[in-house]
Amino acid sequence: MIELINSDARWVRRATFTISILLGAAIWEYAGHNANPLFMAPLIGSTQSPGVAARLVDFIGDSQFRAATLSSLKLFATGFVLALVVAVPFGIILARLTLLRVALESYILVLYVTPMVALIPFVLSILGFGFWPKVLVVFLFAFFPILYNTLEGARSVKPELLEVAGSFRASEWSMWQDILIPYTLPFALTGIRQATGRALVGMIAAEFFLSTSGLGEVIMVASRTPDMTNMLAAISLITILGVILMRGAQVLEQKFSAWRGVDG
Amino acid sequence: MGVNHRIEVRGAGKSFGSLQVFRDLNLDVGEREVLAVIGPSGCGKTTLLRCMNGLVPLSEGEILVEGARMAAPREGVAMVFQHFGLFPWKTVQQNVAYGLKLAGATAAAIGEKVPYFINLVGLTGFEGYYPYQISGGMQQRCGLARALAVKPRVMLMDEPFGAVDAQTREILQFELLRIWEARPTTMVFVTHAIDEAVLMGDRVLVLKGRPAGVHEVVNVDLPRPRDRATLLLPRFAELREHVWSTLMQEAKEAEFKV
Repeated sequence: MIELINSDARWVRRATFTISILLGAAIWEYAGHNANPLFMAPLIGSTQSPGVAARLVDFIGDSQFRAATLSSLKLFATGFVLALVVAVPFGIILARLTLLRVALESYILVLYVTPMVALIPFVLSILGFGFWPKVLVVFLFAFFPILYNTLEGARSVKPELLEVAGSFRASEWSMWQDILIPYTLPFALTGIRQATGRALVGMIAAEFFLSTSGLGEVIMVASRTPDMTNMLAAISLITILGVILMRGAQVLEQKFSAWRGVDG
Repeated sequence: MGVNHRIEVRGAGKSFGSLQVFRDLNLDVGEREVLAVIGPSGCGKTTLLRCMNGLVPLSEGEILVEGARMAAPREGVAMVFQHFGLFPWKTVQQNVAYGLKLAGATAAAIGEKVPYFINLVGLTGFEGYYPYQISGGMQQRCGLARALAVKPRVMLMDEPFGAVDAQTREILQFELLRIWEARPTTMVFVTHAIDEAVLMGDRVLVLKGRPAGVHEVVNVDLPRPRDRATLLLPRFAELREHVWSTLMQEAKEAEFKV
C-alpha cells in the first residue's frame, strides 16, 4: 500500500491526477444540483438549465462579455507590464548601489508585506475612479514581488564573475548585459510568477472597489441578480487565466535557468 | 626602467585594514619570461597577481606594466582564474569570444579567431556546450582560450590548475607549455605545487613570512622547450628539492611560531 502511495510510475501519477479532477468535478456537480441555487450552480447542469461549463462557452459568443474580458485584460496587462518594466531594472540598480539599497530596503520590505488591498481606499480618495487609478492598483500588487526577488537575485551575483568582467575591462553596461541580466533573470521570473497571481487579485479588487468594470463588474452584477452560473463562469475564467499566466511564467523561468544545469 | 622588463614591481605593499599581506616587493619579469610564484597559502600570491592586473590597488609602491603604472585593468594583460570564471549562461564559443567582444572586435573577426583558439586548447566539437556540461579540465581549457584570444602580452595565471584532478593537471601543464613555446609571452604563474613551479618557471619566486616578502628567487636553468622528459632530468629533481627545502624550512618556522 505504502509502495503504491509513493509510486512515481507515470501511469499511477496520471491516474491519480485524473481521478482527482473527476472527483472534484463530481463534488461540484453534486453540490450544484442539491444546494440552494442562490448559492451554487452545477458545472454541467441539465438540458433545461445548463451549468457553468456551457455558460463559459456561451460567453465566447457574447459581445458584452467579450468587452468585459478585454477591459479586464487591458487593465491587467497595463499594470503588470509597467510593474515589470520598472521593477526589474530598479532591482538590479539597487543591487549595484549599496547606499541606495540600504536607504530604501526597509520601505521595500514593509510594502512587500503590506496587504495592498488596504491601500485601495487611499488610491480611490486621492486619484478617483478612472482607468489609471485602477492601473496603479494592479501595479502596486505586482511591483513588490518582482522588485524583491530581482533584488535578492542580483545581490547574489558571484563577485568572482564581476571580477572576471573587470579584468577584461567591461563597462557597467556590458556587466549588465553579460552578467547581471542573465544571472538575475531566473530570480526575477520567480517574482514575476508570484506577481501574476497578485496582479489578478489587484485587477478584480480594483474593478470591485473603484468604478466597477470588466470581469469584476460581471461578478458584482451576478451576485446582485443573483445568477450563480454567470458568477461561477466569470470566476472560472479568471482562474483559467491565472493558471495560464503562471504556467507561462514557469516555462520562461525554466528556459532562462537552464544554464544552472539542475535538470541537465 | 629596464628595457627588457615587461613587468616591474617597485616597493609594492598591500594591506587590508590592519592586515599587511605583503610588503616591499621588488622584482622584474622579462618579455619572454615565465615567473612562477610560490609560497604558503595566505601569503598574498593571488593578491599580488590581482594588483598586477589592476583589479586591486596597492597600498604602497607601484607596479609598472610596459612602463605604465597599473591603476586599472588594461589591454594586453589577461588573467586565468583558479575558479575558471566562466559565464555559466554562455556556451564555450561565447565564453571564448567574451574578451574579443569587449575589446570591440567585429563579428567577422570573432568568427575567425574563436575557432582557432578553441582548437588550440583542444575543445573543437564542444563549442555549443555550457560549462556545466563539461569537466573541470575542459572548463579551464575554455578559460585559457578566452585569455589567449585577446593576444595578451602579459598572462597572469592564478593557480590555474589548482581546481582540477591530478592527471588532468599534468596534461594541462604540458599543453600550456606547448602553447607558450609556440608564442612566448610574459607570464606570471602563481601555484602552490612545487613541481609545477619548477616545470613552468624560468625563475621561481619564493614568498615568505607575514607580511610576505621575497625569500628567494630560484633560477630554473632547465632547457626549453620543456615537456614530459624535463621531469626526468636530474637537474629538475635538484631544483625541486631546493625549492622544497626552502619552503619546508619556512613551513616549520611558521608551525613552531604558533
